[in-house]
Amino acid sequence: MGKKIILIDLSRCIGCRACEVACEKFNGASKITVFELEDVLTMPLNCRHCEKAPCISICPTDALYTDEDGAVLLSPLKCIGCMMCAIVCPFGIPEFDELNKVMMKCDLCRDRRAMGLLPACVATCPTDALVYGDVNEVLPRKREYVAQKAIILSKEVGDVLLK
Amino acid sequence: MRIYDHLRFSFMCSPQRVRGTGHRVAIVGAGPAGLFAAGYLACMGHEVHVYDKLPEPGGLMLFVIPEFKVSIPRVKGGTSELADVFNVKFYTRTKVFGGARSKEEGDAYVTKEVELKDLIKDYDAVLIATGTWSVGKLNVPGEDLRGVYSALEYLFRAKAARLGHIPRDEVPQLRGRRVAIVGGDIMAVDAALEAFYDGAGTIYVFYEGTIKDVPAGEYCIRSLTDRGVKFVELTKPKSIVGDRGEVAGIELAKVDPRTREPIPGSEFLVDVNIVINATEVKPTPPVANGYLGIKVSGDGRIVVNERHVAAEKVFAAGDVVLGPTRVGDAALDGLYAAESIHEYLLYG
Repeated sequence: MGKKIILIDLSRCIGCRACEVACEKFNGASKITVFELEDVLTMPLNCRHCEKAPCISICPTDALYTDEDGAVLLSPLKCIGCMMCAIVCPFGIPEFDELNKVMMKCDLCRDRRAMGLLPACVATCPTDALVYGDVNEVLPRKREYVAQKAIILSKEVGDVLLK
Repeated sequence: MRIYDHLRFSFMCSPQRVRGTGHRVAIVGAGPAGLFAAGYLACMGHEVHVYDKLPEPGGLMLFVIPEFKVSIPRVKGGTSELADVFNVKFYTRTKVFGGARSKEEGDAYVTKEVELKDLIKDYDAVLIATGTWSVGKLNVPGEDLRGVYSALEYLFRAKAARLGHIPRDEVPQLRGRRVAIVGGDIMAVDAALEAFYDGAGTIYVFYEGTIKDVPAGEYCIRSLTDRGVKFVELTKPKSIVGDRGEVAGIELAKVDPRTREPIPGSEFLVDVNIVINATEVKPTPPVANGYLGIKVSGDGRIVVNERHVAAEKVFAAGDVVLGPTRVGDAALDGLYAAESIHEYLLYG
C-alpha cells in the first residue's frame, strides 16, 4: 500500500478550527493546531508523518514505528517518556501525556482508518483545506486544483484583474 | 469549483455500526451547530428531524460564507449524506416560532410555520440552533436610502442566486460602483471580497478601531489591502448623503484612538454609491423571552446552563447561545449539546 498523507492547502484555510474540534472529540485531545500568523495566514499543523522520521531513528526503545499507510505511530507500552522524539521533531509534534507518563502524538486516526473513515480533521474541514489520500494521488490533484482555480478566476474576474 | 470530497457531519461513526434507540430529536436550524449535532445524534442511533427556514440545509455555511471560501458541493454533499445514509429528515422552508415571530433575513422562503410547543410535544428533545440572522442598525441619518444594504443581506442574496433560488438581477449590482463597507468582522471582509470579485470599482472598509482590533484578524484585512481595498481605521459614519433617494456619499468622522469618541470638526465626505452595513450580526432566537421558561438575554442570546439546557426538554447551542463565532466554535457547541441530549435521552 502506498503512503497516505494529509495535505494542507493554506490558501483554503479560513481558520475556523473545525479540525481541532473534531480531533478533540474523537481522540480526547486535539493533535492538530490552527495557528494564526497575525498578518499572513492561518495554518493548521499536525504530525507530518515524515518518511525519514527523526523520532523513529532516535527512539531508544523502538516505541515509534510506521504502519502500512506510512503513518508514524507510538506504542505507549514501549514508550519511557524520555522526550527525545519531541526534542528531535522539527515541528515539535509529540506531546507529553501527564497521566500515563508517556508521549502522545497524531496517529492519522488509526481507528478511523480501520473503519474505513477519513481522519477526523479531514472529515470536518468545511473548505477542503485538509486533504487525505495516497501521496501519488493527492499531489497531482492539488496541481489540477490550482490550475482549475486559475482558469475559473480568469474567466470570472479577468477583466477586474487587468484593470 | 471541483471539490476533493464532501464534509462529514457524522464524523463520529461509520453508518454500518448505528443501532436505533427509538428516541426522536428535533433540531431547529441547519447550520454548523445544528448539522454537527444532527450527525452526532444520528450516529448514536436517534431519529433526527431538522427544521430550517431556508430552502436547503446548510445555514450560514451554505447561504452566506462566499463560494470561494466554503464551496457549495462540499456542504451539500455533507447534508445529503446525512439525509441518505443516516436517514436524517429535513423540513426546509419551515419556520419554528414560539411566542413572538421575529423578522430576520431569509424569511421570504418560509412557506410553513410550526410552533415550538408542538415540537416539544412531538419529540423527546428539541435543540435550538438558529444562529445569527439579523443585523443591527448603523443609527445614522439616510439609512433607508436605495443602495444601503447589510453585509448579511448582500452575501445572502449573492449566494442564493448562485444556488439558483433567486434570479441573478435581484443581487445588488456592484460592478463598477464605489462601495463603502462599515465594520470589521469576518462578514465585512467577506462582503469586501465578494464585492471585489463582483467587479466593484473602489472599495472602502471603514472601521472604528485600529487594524490591530479588527475582530476578523489583521491577516484578513491584509488580504483585502493586497487586492486594492482601502482600509480606513479609526472612522465612524455620521450620515449617509442621498440624492433623489439614492446613496450619493457617506459622511464620516475621525475617532479619537484613546476615547473612541468622534472628534468634532474632523468630518469628511467620501463619494460612494453603495453602503454596506457590516456591523455585528445578532442572534435570532425563535422564541420571545419567557416562552415556556426559555430565557433570552438582552442581546438576543438564549441562556443555557452547563448542560446546554434552556428549559425542560429544550436545548440550545451554536451562535444563538454564543453570539457570532466561527464555524468550528459553533460546531463544537453543537457537539457538546448533542452529547448532553444523548445523555438526557438515555439516563434522563
